Amino acid sequence: MALPLTYHWRNLFVRKTTTVLTVLVITSVVSVFAYMLGFSESLQHSLSVARDPHKLIVLKSGATAESNSAIPVDEYNKLSQVTNVARDEATGQVLVSPEMMVQVSLPRLRDGGRTNANVAVRGVTLDAFRIHPNIRPLGRIFSTAEREVIVGLAAAQQFAGLQIGDTINLGYGADRAYKVVGHFSADGGPMESEIWGYLPSLMNSYNRTMYSSANLRLADGSDARQIIGQIEGPAIQLAAQTEEEYWESQSRLMKVYLFVAYLLVAIMSLAAVFAIANTMFSVVAGRSRELAMLRTIGFSSAQILLGLVIEAVMLALVGGMLGCVACWAWLQAVGNTKDMFGATTFTTMAFKIQMTPLLIAKALGLVVVVGVIGALVPALRAARMQVVTALREP
Amino acid sequence: MTLTYVLMQNLRRNTLRVVLTAVAFALPMAVFVAAISFVVALAQISADMEKELRLGVHHKTTLTNPLPAGMRSKIEALDPDRRRIAAVCGMRWFGGRVPDTQNTLTSIAGDPDTFPLVYSDVGMTAQDIEAWQRDRRACVVGRNPVDTYGWKQGDRVTLVSTVPPYLQLEFNIVKIVENRERANFFWFRRDYLVESMKDAGVDDARCNIFWIKCKSAEGLRTLQQDIDALFANSPDETKSEDENAFVANFTQAMGNIPGLMQTMAMVVVVIVALVAGNAMMMSFRERTRELAVFKAIGFQSGRVFLIVLSESIMLAMGGALLGVVPAAVLLWLLPIRLTGIGPMIALEVTRLGVIGSMAIALCVGVVAGLWPAFQAMRLQTTDALRKVA
Repeated sequence: MALPLTYHWRNLFVRKTTTVLTVLVITSVVSVFAYMLGFSESLQHSLSVARDPHKLIVLKSGATAESNSAIPVDEYNKLSQVTNVARDEATGQVLVSPEMMVQVSLPRLRDGGRTNANVAVRGVTLDAFRIHPNIRPLGRIFSTAEREVIVGLAAAQQFAGLQIGDTINLGYGADRAYKVVGHFSADGGPMESEIWGYLPSLMNSYNRTMYSSANLRLADGSDARQIIGQIEGPAIQLAAQTEEEYWESQSRLMKVYLFVAYLLVAIMSLAAVFAIANTMFSVVAGRSRELAMLRTIGFSSAQILLGLVIEAVMLALVGGMLGCVACWAWLQAVGNTKDMFGATTFTTMAFKIQMTPLLIAKALGLVVVVGVIGALVPALRAARMQVVTALREP
Repeated sequence: MTLTYVLMQNLRRNTLRVVLTAVAFALPMAVFVAAISFVVALAQISADMEKELRLGVHHKTTLTNPLPAGMRSKIEALDPDRRRIAAVCGMRWFGGRVPDTQNTLTSIAGDPDTFPLVYSDVGMTAQDIEAWQRDRRACVVGRNPVDTYGWKQGDRVTLVSTVPPYLQLEFNIVKIVENRERANFFWFRRDYLVESMKDAGVDDARCNIFWIKCKSAEGLRTLQQDIDALFANSPDETKSEDENAFVANFTQAMGNIPGLMQTMAMVVVVIVALVAGNAMMMSFRERTRELAVFKAIGFQSGRVFLIVLSESIMLAMGGALLGVVPAAVLLWLLPIRLTGIGPMIALEVTRLGVIGSMAIALCVGVVAGLWPAFQAMRLQTTDALRKVA
């Protein structure tokens, strides 16, 4: 028979101060961990949406992102000769979406407009909705005859003046009023942080004659490398990459950030291991007579060992749960919206840090590991204790 | 028997716990010293920038909409007798990278005549300025690219622009900038860029931003209003902001690393306080009888209070040293460079950061020891002697 769980639970209350202090250490570490994890998961979720293996992004060679690419129309027209890509069923022409990317500086809602964010404005034709199948307009889309735009959900939630019915000043001189007529979802992908309008209208407003990028879809069963070869070859001489490659190179900045954050969390988690070990050593020392007594009435040393580990894990789990609650409260109080630049896009990607059940499970998983490692050495010491000597102790 | 002797003996009593506590204290302190160094360095940079009195004027819609180069003389005309403006420098983004590499350098072309005046803080000597004025291909480079690509003063280097028309240009390094907040920068002459663009068939002399060196803080505020008013309702409406405000727009989009560091620092202080507090409570509980003996043999309450408190402080300071020193050495050997737009500096440990960390450790030591020390002082000798640990 194992030691009952209530025995361990009630033991936590014997030394209240020590228990409370140790739990609070764990709480602090886990709250930071949960926040960082939430940050990284939301970011990764967003980027994982932008991983369509059948989509190619064509840029001017030498450009690093849509925002610094300029494709003259005659070069763009050469894309009509690419083979093995998706075609328009009605016309038989290559299905290609010419797009223009510009930016507009809009106040961030989370700091009351103290700072501004660079929000992407994308000029598209109606073909864009066939090239980017995960764009789902909620309500109506822009009319090709009026100055109208639709706004991604993330952008609408995080930046000022993007509600339906609002007007936003776009154009080179910020003197063309565009009306927000709808929102759209992109399954949480980076495009959800953008503003979309009709390409010819926006090009005119921005005095542009060149496109920023062209997007194509692979035909079923065709090979992306082969098509990229065609586009980069002597006949066309533009640069192409899959959507995944594009976002992989854009997420470098985010990776540095996450590296720093996780390094700090790892160091703090290690500190939590030592804090638990400290507490458990003290528990073992203080209870050596009691533990020896358990041995004399028939509990095996393995059971004692397991029991002490369980006790430490309980301690850690209480701290872990409080940590998750603290993180949740922090997100409620400070706000869970964030936005971040791609490495060279110069436009921001907005996302929300969310406390998902999976995230809580991961945080508690970490805490269990910390508890087990921290308890192992003290518990081993307790299990190896000489029963007779321990019973004689004062 | 001196106080020091008692303290040393006490620390050696439960070596295991002292070690565990010190390590549990040291690890967060290692984080703290890096975080606080970063925060302090940024605060210094921000204060320095404020002193530099630079006002940035860019297009109201976005920085990427260029402004006509002629705006410079319009801005200068606002203050003909130069009471507010020291110099105006038009700048254009080049976004160059070393051929066949990924990292875009913060490479920017600036007006050759005014650049050394507007950026007087990069410390160009008269000689440097002369070299910059003489050589059309002159460039002034920060530490990060210099170290990354093994450049030195006098080198000829090549950059390929990532913005249209994607020029490939050659430069001569005339000055290496040591300012850490300028570590990612690469400045060169705008006349060289404009001519090269013209050769490539693009006639475009426009600027992304005009940086104005002002003569007083008050002058900066009034200029900010005057400039935006001057260009209001024109095709090129402007937004003027001082350098700190300009940088703040990007800090958020860079993941708000300063904010992260501040939060980390705060959480770490809480953690170390709890760890130290816990250790002191345990140590006190185990030694209640011993402290009672001290009192029984004539130690005064104040003395006992001091013994417990000093132990806590020693533990905290020792733990802090154990964390601060390795962190400083590690970050010195393996620096974590944060590249990006604006004054992103490397993670490193500064002297002020170390002083701050030790001060915090001292405070934590005092706070953690206070309650046990107070209890020790109030100890009823007879009760305590009877108590079983």
